Amino acid sequence: MDKKNGFLKRFRLPAGLFFVALILPLVVTEFWVHVFTEIIILGLFASAFNLIFGYMGQLSFGQAAYYGIGAYTTGLLMVKLQWPLIACLPASMITAGLGALILGYFCVKLRGIYFAILTMAFGQLVFFIIFQWYSFTGGDNGLQGINPPVWLFKANAYYYFSLAVVTVGMILLYFITESPFGYTMKAIRDNTERTEFIGINVQRYMLINFVISGMFCGLAGALWGPFNRSVAPDLCSWQNSGHPVFMAVMGGPYHFLGPMIGSVIFTFLNAFVTGFTEYWPLVSGLVMIIVVLLMPGGLFGIIKSKGYFETKAVVLEGNNPGDTGDKKK
Amino acid sequence: MNDDVILKTDHLSKSFFKYQVLTDVNYQLNRGQIAAIIGPNGAGKSTFFNLVTGYHAVSGGNVYFRGKEITNWARHKIARIGITRAFQVSNIYPKLTTYENVRQSILAQQKRTLNFFTPAERLAKNETLSLLETTGLSGFRNTEAGILSQGDKKKLELALALASKPDLLLLDEPTAGMSSEETHETMQLVKRLNKDIGLSILFTEHDISVIFGYAQKLSVLHQGVLVAEGTPEEVRQNKEAQACYLGEEI
Repeated sequence: MDKKNGFLKRFRLPAGLFFVALILPLVVTEFWVHVFTEIIILGLFASAFNLIFGYMGQLSFGQAAYYGIGAYTTGLLMVKLQWPLIACLPASMITAGLGALILGYFCVKLRGIYFAILTMAFGQLVFFIIFQWYSFTGGDNGLQGINPPVWLFKANAYYYFSLAVVTVGMILLYFITESPFGYTMKAIRDNTERTEFIGINVQRYMLINFVISGMFCGLAGALWGPFNRSVAPDLCSWQNSGHPVFMAVMGGPYHFLGPMIGSVIFTFLNAFVTGFTEYWPLVSGLVMIIVVLLMPGGLFGIIKSKGYFETKAVVLEGNNPGDTGDKKK
Repeated sequence: MNDDVILKTDHLSKSFFKYQVLTDVNYQLNRGQIAAIIGPNGAGKSTFFNLVTGYHAVSGGNVYFRGKEITNWARHKIARIGITRAFQVSNIYPKLTTYENVRQSILAQQKRTLNFFTPAERLAKNETLSLLETTGLSGFRNTEAGILSQGDKKKLELALALASKPDLLLLDEPTAGMSSEETHETMQLVKRLNKDIGLSILFTEHDISVIFGYAQKLSVLHQGVLVAEGTPEEVRQNKEAQACYLGEEI
């Protein structure tokens, strides 16, 4: 019974969000369907980024590189080789993962600010390669005509397709974060030194995590190209790498759904504010200041501090019948 | 090398820039022995542990474990071959619960940390609960480790080290911050582990009653030099050891 309650308590929020996401296109205009499509794609991007930030404890300012590699892989395969979109998604994950493997190999040797700077430098390297390589990537013109198949042409259809892909992606990410590998990431975040002394090759695990994150960033990028009908080098820029940072910090990096909720806040704010003023970055900066000062753990940090999402105790109770003396925080 | 020797250092030295903190330390620990390294603050006890466990790079000399040279191996490799340690200042996972702390160490020992799709909470339940019970931490299993008392953090660190199923356990001031009752419990546990599973244990300590109550062999470090070695009684009688650390009369 306890286990069942724990399960329901743990999954009621994602299940509720999924249900809302399912019915949204039925009650809003096409403009908002586009906004929601953007939210879920960027939410996946931010959640993938958060594998490094929230779970591994390192700040990457270069995840847009893998998002861009994914977007360009899909764009190039669809435009130049007429590959079906469905085949481009895994291909984008593979290329983004390979990019993350090569660049991450150097990044995971560093920690803290040095890690952040190197990820940003590599991100900019990818940006400039794409920007300059006219014959292959279209340079600063980008790639146009990345049209989804006819059955996904309408806004609602592409939204549901994206929702399905993002849901599968999020479920996979959730499994990873709750697995022994995910806990090893939390252990590295909490105490890298101790993790080495229990026999874990920290650098190797960080690289694996970096690659997984890159693959899912690539998957999000792969959804973006056909959604936007084009891709441009800006997708790989350091500014675009900042977006998942904003989202994770706003939503809460220490809860699995934090970055997705951050994407909702960020994208909504963007859609609203740009309707009134061209100074969107000013508003987003102010929101960021407020979040950092008043909600250091993001939105989910506040909610968690009120006692929600405490499911672990329920899961563990009953394993040791004689023991009831848990000291709860 | 004699099969009975589990740890041996040969002219082990360490310097930080121009400061020599450990000089030509020739040390030997036998399998199944409980031994202590003592000395005043700054004598080089923790540095010795740091060199053996790969925390610092060795400046000179060699380290052997079960006859195999392990000088300057990576920390995780040294842990994997059977040497684990507890630090002077508790080194745990403060944001994970006590249960998750111990489970993480057990999963690492079982080489299950590259499992991506089985929820961690389903794994190593019995082993984790049993080790929490052994170390007297069952009552704190859902407590975030960072808010445990200093003594309980020390116990948790001991549990993390034991979870690795080591052959050699290095304990750097294992009872620091503990009450006398906790000190007694912890050292009894250490003694039991030594007796029951033949775990070799090397510890540093300032508490004279702990040192003389539990160590079968004592080594005295002074300013990075090993000045005396022997049974507790031999060391107690040693003039140099008395001058350096033990005082006139014990």
